[in-house]
Order: sequence, then structure tokens, then C-alpha cells
Amino acid sequence: MDEALAPLTISHFLFTGATLFALGVVGFLARRNLIVMFLCTEMMFQGVVVTLVAFSRFHLNVTGQTFVIFVLTIAAAEAALALGLVVLLFRRKHTLDAEAWAEMQG
Amino acid sequence: MAQSLYIVSALGAVAVLLMMPRRGPSASAYGVVLGAATLAGFWLYLAPQIPGGPSPLMAYYYIFSALAIGSAVRVITHTRPVYAALWFVMTLLASSGLVLLLGAEFMAFAIIIIYGGAILVTYVFVIMLAAQAGDPTDAEHSPIYDRQAREPAAAVAAGFLLLAVLLDIMFPTTPWEPNPAVEDPSDGALVRELLNDRPAAHLAAEGVPGAAETAAEARVTNAERVGLDLFQSHPLGLELAGLILLVSLIGAVVIARQRVAQEEDEANQSERAAPPGAG
Repeated sequence: MDEALAPLTISHFLFTGATLFALGVVGFLARRNLIVMFLCTEMMFQGVVVTLVAFSRFHLNVTGQTFVIFVLTIAAAEAALALGLVVLLFRRKHTLDAEAWAEMQG
Repeated sequence: MAQSLYIVSALGAVAVLLMMPRRGPSASAYGVVLGAATLAGFWLYLAPQIPGGPSPLMAYYYIFSALAIGSAVRVITHTRPVYAALWFVMTLLASSGLVLLLGAEFMAFAIIIIYGGAILVTYVFVIMLAAQAGDPTDAEHSPIYDRQAREPAAAVAAGFLLLAVLLDIMFPTTPWEPNPAVEDPSDGALVRELLNDRPAAHLAAEGVPGAAETAAEARVTNAERVGLDLFQSHPLGLELAGLILLVSLIGAVVIARQRVAQEEDEANQSERAAPPGAG
């Protein structure tokens, strides 16, 4: 499998990772639902994961894959805290609209 | 090369912009066609530059990648959050397929188990918890903030400008280097190095005859490599990750236990204010 896939260059996987990251950025900026916004941050994490593993494969350095474990840890912690906050905000105003909290701007 | 990257990014931006949720007549069909054509055209344009010509197994890359990008677009354009979460599961499965193609089996399955099994379940749970009243099958009754994007043109411009610059940096103008083949000789060296930490007498006492010969032809799997690297090179990071998980666990419990003052019809809602569990 490895010899057959050798023609795949690192750039292919970097393209996919960068596209996932950019789509996550677009979704985070454009969507107004708080839950979907956090879903888009998870999509940015996915793009980073693909990029990290691609670099790990290209340089034959397994540290890139080890770092994915830490990315998953942070993603899990972020999901727990962010969704707890979203539930708190929803109980207060009964809407998931991010614009409902526009008065919080500094 | 650089111009084509910017052209591709601009076409993709227009496609995503057409697919964004909006009021009035939907133009998403044109967006789907334009986006698919842009992706296919970009890959066809890149195909002659692949060293060694195309290989049949590369079809896996194209399938997984198209699935990941297509369902990612669906995540950010779907008007119902539950379906966006389900499409994100599709993105996860496709990108873990890509990770599998890169020879990182452990990471591929860790992504499916942790993301698809734990984090996404939490998301779906919270979406259900915060569900709006209304007919769930009728898209017209979803709240306005799901049906209308916030400044989609500016968001798409920012995101795809970022994509164009990233691609411009990472795509080399020189001929592309293929991925090196995974080297196997280092496996034996890795095992020997591990075994040499222990005295030979100790090994013999444990009933390991010919440990040196076994080490010479030993193979190290991907999971073992990751485990060795994690515990040999990053023990502090591992402890910190555990600490972060503990802190976020306590934080989530504290946040979820709070009783919030509701800004409207408090008497109405007070009986269903039981604290929900957070992931």
C-alpha cells in the first residue's frame, strides 16, 4: 500500500487540510447559531489534524501524530466547556442567536 | 501556478456564497455545480504534475477528499443544526480515511472514536436540549438565525483569501517531492534501543531467549510508535493534557450547575430548570 500511494504528494493532503480549515473559518464567521459556530471550530481542528498527519508522514516523524492526541484533548475540553456555556446562555435568553449577545462587545 | 490558485479560490468562494442560507430564492444548485466543477478542474489541472503518473489507488484520496470537502460545505450551509452535526460526522469519517491513507491507523481510529463517538454525541445532545419549538420536519419553521447567514460575502471573502494565501505558500513551484516510503530498518534499531535499556541478564531471567535476534527483525506498528513517542518524549505534555481535562471537567460541572435568572416568564420556566449534564 505504501509503495502504491507514494505518488501522492504532501501537497494533496495539505490542500484538503487547508480547505477544511478555510471552510471552518467561513462557517464560524457566517453562521449565527452558537452551536454551529462551535461545530465550525471543530472543523478547523480537523483541517489541522489532516495537515499534521501529512507532515508527519512526509518527514517520517511520528511527533506530528502525537500532537494530534493533544489536539483531540483540547477539542474535547473545548466542547465540554463551550457547550456548557451555550446551554447556560440558552437558558437565560431562550435563543441560540449569537447576535442576541451583541451587548457583550467590549 | 499562483494565478491559478487565486482563480480556484475565487471560484470556490463564489460557489460557497451561492450555497449560503439566505432569504428569498435559493441559488444553491448553481453553487453545488460550480463548486464541484472547481474542485474537479483543480485536481485535473494538478494531475500532470504528480510524479510517476497517476496510480489507481490514488482514487481513494480523491474520494475521501471530495467527501470531506463536500460534507464540510454542507455543515456550514445547512439550516438545521442537527443535520449540520450529522454532516460533520461524515467529514470526520472521510478525513480519518485520509489519515488512514497516510499510514496513521491509530490516529484514524482515535478520531472516529473520540470525535464521532464522544464529542459529536455531546453536540447532538446539546442541540436537542436547546431545540426550538416548531415542526422539526418543516425547514420554514427553523429560527431566522439558522435560515439567514450573517454577512456571508465578507465571511466567504475572508475565508477563501486565507485559503488562497495558504495554498500559495504551501504549493511549491519546484517539481513535487513524492512521499518517502516508510522505512522498515529503523524498526529493528528502535526495538534494540529499547531492549538495551534493560540488562541482558534481566531479559534472560524473564525467559526471553535470543532477544537480540528477535529485535533485528521486529516490526513496530503505528500505535506502538505513537505510544513510544508520547511516553518517551512528551511525558510533561501528557500530564498537562490530563490536567486540562480535569479542569474542564470541573469547569463544565460548575457551569452546568448554575441556576440562571431568566429574563422572561420566570415563573413559567422555573420547574424545568433542572441542570442538564454537560459533556
